[in-house]
Amino acid sequence: MITLTINDKEVSLDRPMSVLEAARQAGIKIPTLCYHEALKPYGGCRLCVVEVERMPKLQTACTLTAADGMVVRTESEMIAKVRRGILEFLLINHPLDCPYCDKAGECELQDLVNKYGATAGRYREEKRKVPESHKDHILTRNMERCIVCTRCVRMCNDVQGASAIAMMGRGGHTRMEPFSSASFNCEYCGNCLSVCPVGAILSRLYIHSFRPWQVDTEVETVCSYCGVGCSMVVQVRDDLIKRVVPRMGLGLNRGLLCSRGRFGYEYIHSQDRLKTPLVRRNGKLEQATWSEALRHVAERLTGIKKADGGSAIAGIASARCTNEENYVFQKFMRMACGSNNIDSLSRAGFAAAQKYLEELLGQGITANMIEGLKNSEVILVAGGDPGTVNPVLGLAIREAFRRGAKVAVVGHARGLERFTSIRLTPPLFREEEFLEELLAGVSRVRGLRGEKLDVDRGIRAISDAYPGISGLEGFDELKHALLDSPSTSIVLGSGLVQHSRGHRAIFAVAGLTYLLEARLYLLAERPNEQGLIDMGCVPEMLPGGRPLNNHDYTRKFEEAWGGPIPEEDGMTLMEIMEGAKEGRVRALYIMGDNPLVNLPGGPLIEEALKALDFLVVQDMFLTETGRMADVVLPAVGWSEKSGTYTNIERRIQLLRKAVGNSSGMEDWKIINDVSGMMGYPMAYEDAESIMDEIARVSPLYRDLTYREIGKGNSLWPYHGEPLRGEIHELPAAVNGTGSYTANFYLAPEKVLFHSGTTSRHSQALMRICPEPVLRIGPAAADTLGVREGDRVKVSTSSGSGEFPLSIDRTISDNRVLLSNNFEGSGVLRLMSYRLDPVTRAPGIEGCEATITRL
Amino acid sequence: MFNDTVVKEIDDIKSRYPDRKSALLPSLYVAQREFGWLSSEAMESVARALNVPESVVRGTATFYAMFRHAPAGRHVIQLCTNVSCMILGAEQLVDFLKSKYGLTPGGTTEDGRFSLVIMECIGACGTAPAMLVDTDFHDNLSEKRIEEILEKYK
Repeated sequence: MITLTINDKEVSLDRPMSVLEAARQAGIKIPTLCYHEALKPYGGCRLCVVEVERMPKLQTACTLTAADGMVVRTESEMIAKVRRGILEFLLINHPLDCPYCDKAGECELQDLVNKYGATAGRYREEKRKVPESHKDHILTRNMERCIVCTRCVRMCNDVQGASAIAMMGRGGHTRMEPFSSASFNCEYCGNCLSVCPVGAILSRLYIHSFRPWQVDTEVETVCSYCGVGCSMVVQVRDDLIKRVVPRMGLGLNRGLLCSRGRFGYEYIHSQDRLKTPLVRRNGKLEQATWSEALRHVAERLTGIKKADGGSAIAGIASARCTNEENYVFQKFMRMACGSNNIDSLSRAGFAAAQKYLEELLGQGITANMIEGLKNSEVILVAGGDPGTVNPVLGLAIREAFRRGAKVAVVGHARGLERFTSIRLTPPLFREEEFLEELLAGVSRVRGLRGEKLDVDRGIRAISDAYPGISGLEGFDELKHALLDSPSTSIVLGSGLVQHSRGHRAIFAVAGLTYLLEARLYLLAERPNEQGLIDMGCVPEMLPGGRPLNNHDYTRKFEEAWGGPIPEEDGMTLMEIMEGAKEGRVRALYIMGDNPLVNLPGGPLIEEALKALDFLVVQDMFLTETGRMADVVLPAVGWSEKSGTYTNIERRIQLLRKAVGNSSGMEDWKIINDVSGMMGYPMAYEDAESIMDEIARVSPLYRDLTYREIGKGNSLWPYHGEPLRGEIHELPAAVNGTGSYTANFYLAPEKVLFHSGTTSRHSQALMRICPEPVLRIGPAAADTLGVREGDRVKVSTSSGSGEFPLSIDRTISDNRVLLSNNFEGSGVLRLMSYRLDPVTRAPGIEGCEATITRL
Repeated sequence: MFNDTVVKEIDDIKSRYPDRKSALLPSLYVAQREFGWLSSEAMESVARALNVPESVVRGTATFYAMFRHAPAGRHVIQLCTNVSCMILGAEQLVDFLKSKYGLTPGGTTEDGRFSLVIMECIGACGTAPAMLVDTDFHDNLSEKRIEEILEKYK
């Protein structure tokens, strides 16, 4: 125990820390400018100077480690004079344009000058003149106001890891460059913006539109972009979102955000939002009132149910919607429509992998804290780029790398480019073989574990089939790193799941997880992919992962829901689509998704949707799928509703309503009303009343309340029963590898700045990344004789498109990357699919591409 | 981009230090020697060769006075005008360089042959005035001697 005296107050510390932290812990405020709790101490601004007995000079409290018996004074005449002097120096160059500067009111320099004086300097020199830079799409840079505290540089280098900001020049002429303009690999996370103590970095999204003290409401909520679930604060004035800011120490992201979370909120106020329900009359979608539209939906669904039974109706839920909405949706499908045909687009990735992993290793196998990544010694990343899919999770991997962990990347992960220790590039579409080889190699040394006999049997079969050695560069290094590692994490992305042999990759990852006792993380592109499964939006499971074919479980739900649950097995996503095409599914109810764009095999999906008798789409925007619908119902978005999301760690987090001026309705409310008209009243009052019911019926969310969730520590399983996976027979793995000899293969690119429907309507994100770009490696560019910026035509067996070309040095094989985020030019449209026989995920096929220069 | 010999030289520099950042200053010298000055391309090449972020390379290169950020002549003359050299006539030598070669401090001759940098003491006070041409040291300078010396640098 360290005990020291600060301002005559005795302070005891339970761990070593700086004098500054000790003082803060004791409630004593020491002024700072360069210090920031998210950054390492720097000792640059000198404002935190304190007097320490028996030390001859003033000491900077941020860099001085508190020692036992220290006697510290934080305020004295001497200290005040020094601080005033420092501020006077800063004001030599800092302009006194506070009335014009957006930072005024929350400016740390302004506050300090206010407290310590030096409002009028004695210096007669001219101030430094640097014109304000508006060159960037998002950030305004005013280097006259910069006080060279280097917080932005340290944030960008040491925390974000983008290294996009440099301190240029020296002395009084030092300036920070260039922030964004994307020339330095800027990731537009805006974390420099949150740490700038003055008005040197400002956001153009709200510049000069409000003052910090004019915020009417401030709402703590959760981001709606990906499965990490970062906490954030939404600031509102006049029912408009003014800005989204992180709060240090709040939530699992601890004050960090990514570009989508911080700058992607404008879609809420987009002019393109659906304003009224639309109903198709004489072949055209026309505006209708809510009661007309809802009644129409109820009548048509009732009619189809009566004529062909509930199994002719299917529903697609959404990982963009809350737990409450998905719960109500599956209840509606099962009870009001009488159908188990409920799935979501998560089937194409997260849900498929999750389901199979849990069958193999038990429920909750991926429920690992993101924080845990930072403490791993070896991190194996396969099938996706954490840096773009789940950026804040990517930061944890970067931090681990900086700390000395070995990060191994299989395939392509641009966001980890400078944070990769072992790079493995197995041939495209052969990744599962590589992982199996690795598993064989590991099991040769480690042996089997003997806890899960099925998994052991599967591993033995793989071990018998492979030599366990490989000539692939990095293979041995990775194998030995894994075998020697005391703490391993494996991060699996959907890239390896979206394949007709994806289950083999998943099994290999499961086997490695099992043998190495590793922590497993599944990347999730949408905010509530886990919650979706927990709520029972899968054909074969009720809420809480309860299997549908077990009467003990179904009886409990039937009692709670007041009626029989249909017994007929439900269809998975692609089976629904195929069923629609063949006429077995007549009506489809889609909540918050756009399958026409977000699934491979576009022509088939289009045919299926066309063949439907009745299609309902609930969304915030008129999507491509919505345009084909018979009824389109405007929904509300993230900051307009309350509810909960369950993130990839299975942390249940509260989404709070911040604004409410759109004409849409909450998804659960729409379904609640339709259900009532169909003779199955639900009568929920609000999202909280739905959670009360979930907490009663779902073993995973038992006894959960909003109050409890609001504390931020509701990690699943919450007061749950011990979770045990069902033992399943191992499915027979598909053998054979297929032939992959084309020159180029098209692959979906996950873009850091986009997610699809919502990001496309966020102006800021569109300014950063306005159009789809085809990315190829430098070697491929040489072969083709193309240069950066050339327009090229890319064709596959499904279609073709024209795009500007970008040469990406991080691509080392023959893959060609294209995003799926822009209207009419998504990559999935150019691909067909083949179902994975085990996970039922649509495996991407037909990506052999030819590229021609235009 | 660097040619193979330079890449090898930088690899050799890298092997001398425990981490890549430490190899930055010597590598920047190599780049300046190769390109004549630190162009964007030169700094990018260093960043790539060392796998250090470009921002770090630029920040470091702009901090130090010995790195040039504009093209220089084929030969760089660094003339001292500090106390001893000044007393022994260095300032007249500056004028001489201007009248004879059209070379002003910080400037380059029209034919791109010489650049002139005025530098602080190079530790040759006993034999002042003194200058460096590229890395060669010359002292006891006079107008005539400068003319003779510069003849050797084409």
